[in-house]
Amino acid sequence: MRLRSHPWPQLVRKEWRELLSSRAWWVMIFLVGPLVGVSFIGAVRTYAEASGLGGASAGVGEAFSPLDGIWAPTFVAYEIAATFLLPFVAIRLVAGDRQSGALKLEGQGPMSPFSRMGAKALVLFGGWCLAGFPALVAGILWKTYGGSAYPPELASVALGHLLNAGLTIALAIAIASIAENPSTAAILVLSFTVGTWILGFIASLRGGMWELIAKFTPAAMLDKFQHGLIPLGTSLVALVFIAVSLGIASLWIRLGVSTRRRAFESAGLVAAAAALVVACAFVHPSWDVSENRRHSFPEADQEALARIQGPLHIEAHLAPEDPRRSDLEHQALSKLRRAMPSVEVRYVSATSIGLFEQTSAGYGEVWYELGGKRAMNRLTTEEAVLETIYGLAGITPPKETEPSFAGHPLIASPRGAAVVFFGLWPAIVAGFGVFVFRRRT
Amino acid sequence: MDEIGNPLDSHIRPPIVTVSGLSKRYGSVIALDDVAFSIHRGEILGLIGPNGAGKTTLFECVAGVQPADRGTVVFGTGYETARRGDVLFYLPDGIAPWPDQSVEWALKFFLDFFGGRRDLVDDMINRLDIAPLRRKRIGALSQGQRKRALLAMGLLTPQPVLLIDEPFEGLDLRQSREAAKTLRWHASLGRTLFLSIHQIMDAGHVCDRFVLLSGGRVGGEGTADELASLAGSRPGVTAPADFEEIFLALT
Repeated sequence: MRLRSHPWPQLVRKEWRELLSSRAWWVMIFLVGPLVGVSFIGAVRTYAEASGLGGASAGVGEAFSPLDGIWAPTFVAYEIAATFLLPFVAIRLVAGDRQSGALKLEGQGPMSPFSRMGAKALVLFGGWCLAGFPALVAGILWKTYGGSAYPPELASVALGHLLNAGLTIALAIAIASIAENPSTAAILVLSFTVGTWILGFIASLRGGMWELIAKFTPAAMLDKFQHGLIPLGTSLVALVFIAVSLGIASLWIRLGVSTRRRAFESAGLVAAAAALVVACAFVHPSWDVSENRRHSFPEADQEALARIQGPLHIEAHLAPEDPRRSDLEHQALSKLRRAMPSVEVRYVSATSIGLFEQTSAGYGEVWYELGGKRAMNRLTTEEAVLETIYGLAGITPPKETEPSFAGHPLIASPRGAAVVFFGLWPAIVAGFGVFVFRRRT
Repeated sequence: MDEIGNPLDSHIRPPIVTVSGLSKRYGSVIALDDVAFSIHRGEILGLIGPNGAGKTTLFECVAGVQPADRGTVVFGTGYETARRGDVLFYLPDGIAPWPDQSVEWALKFFLDFFGGRRDLVDDMINRLDIAPLRRKRIGALSQGQRKRALLAMGLLTPQPVLLIDEPFEGLDLRQSREAAKTLRWHASLGRTLFLSIHQIMDAGHVCDRFVLLSGGRVGGEGTADELASLAGSRPGVTAPADFEEIFLALT
């Protein structure tokens, strides 16, 4: 009788060995340290200046949050690495099997294509998590400088970047499974990323449907997490995208199936995914984990708004590029959608910049309709919006009892950061890399 | 014990794989045209044909690596059908899988992942002279070394039928003979082997039966004697003296 362990751990171990043999992964790990270093050192210096370094006004620093001042800019290094380095690592892991002929052998093994792609994704994700070590070091350094760290905010930023990496890995695996050549796969993955940037740009100009779609691009998703908001719907869309990409990869990595059949099955999977994404677009819950609760109204207002029955319709006559529209959206409407059970917002404009609409009758007006009553207010501040809604609902505005966020100003220089990120980290990675490669040869 | 077995009587051994009407085109090129033959349990069947005859395509269609346009491949005895992966394993030619890993690791991976036969490991290492290669990276092996390492991996797999594409490609004369002896020894343990070979003399040394393939069509199937009789019955062909003449007469 032949006894053997389950093949899944064997497969994961094999993928891990392949990752460690990949120069692309070592290069990524090597570069992540200096990238984080540049971002972190710049962020600490800017934070110190804003906090009043060198006799500058301390007013800005008082409202400063490490989320905006330190974590978001430091983690930008991971956005760069996920865009320009991680896809190559993932493509190498998939395309290498095809080029070496290992695919033909492993395809005859006991694991399903989805399990095989899952093992690759898992290992790549693990490899990416190791690349997160410099961020951890940055956090420790920041604490040694006396900086403040609010764990939920940090967790939100880290989660956003992990989801973003998951999207990149899944997309790269899917494309590398379809494309015969790794260079083609690399071009296609980068084209997708650049395409989402273009989509975001068009959305900012055109609004409407473009804006709706652009909400689900990786950059838009990351932006929310980096500002301390964990949106359930967007997170679900990302998870659907990851699952579907791995599903498509499994369809294309199978042996003995015609291209036509793979294409049909992929189209079916994409159609099912599109339905799921549309369903996820209606999932509105989100969690504001920012220390200053920037995505929420004060507690008393939140409670008062939650009690208002009936749908609230808002019609804003503001063009996509009008700064007032951005103010209205960020200061009030995004919070309102989270606070009230039913809010419908409609933007009306004839042009994208609104410059030549200023003289048109009605431009700049924001109309509110609640329970059959209508009111108009041109102001786009949080206070003005709340006042109008309370007026329509016939509610007395609650008294503000929350103290305003004090901020965590800190005048500190990034001591030791350059040595750690530009010297120690590359040296350690290079040392480990040489050790691993010498053991193999 | 003599390791070179006697030719088998295919009529008393049940077919373990039956191929019928298999066809495959690449655009306007017909790679396989209505191919039919059987693989019988315990035999070494040689697929003989010149370069470009369609041997690799046939192997890949039988192994399920490529889709065939038409035809069927039935696994089992006729009373029972089995899953392809449970019945056969295909070892392609010209591959260098996991080039950054050592031969030793790859052998262990074959045992663990594919459920290979641990009891055969030492024999394989000795017979195919793998010991000096164990710590070498697969990507750093010469063509002959890689072929021996891959043969060892393939022979460790647990499926009852093993398809090997060009088992002697890249091997020198001595290594080819050792590999042939190893294949015969392996078949004597009960394994069914289906080998694609373009060197006719190599095939004559190791195979019990043959399928002759030329231009994507089967020119004949049987033992050397059966094929000689078939060739001799062709008009204008006198009794062929050796296997090369049989092949030329039938293809």
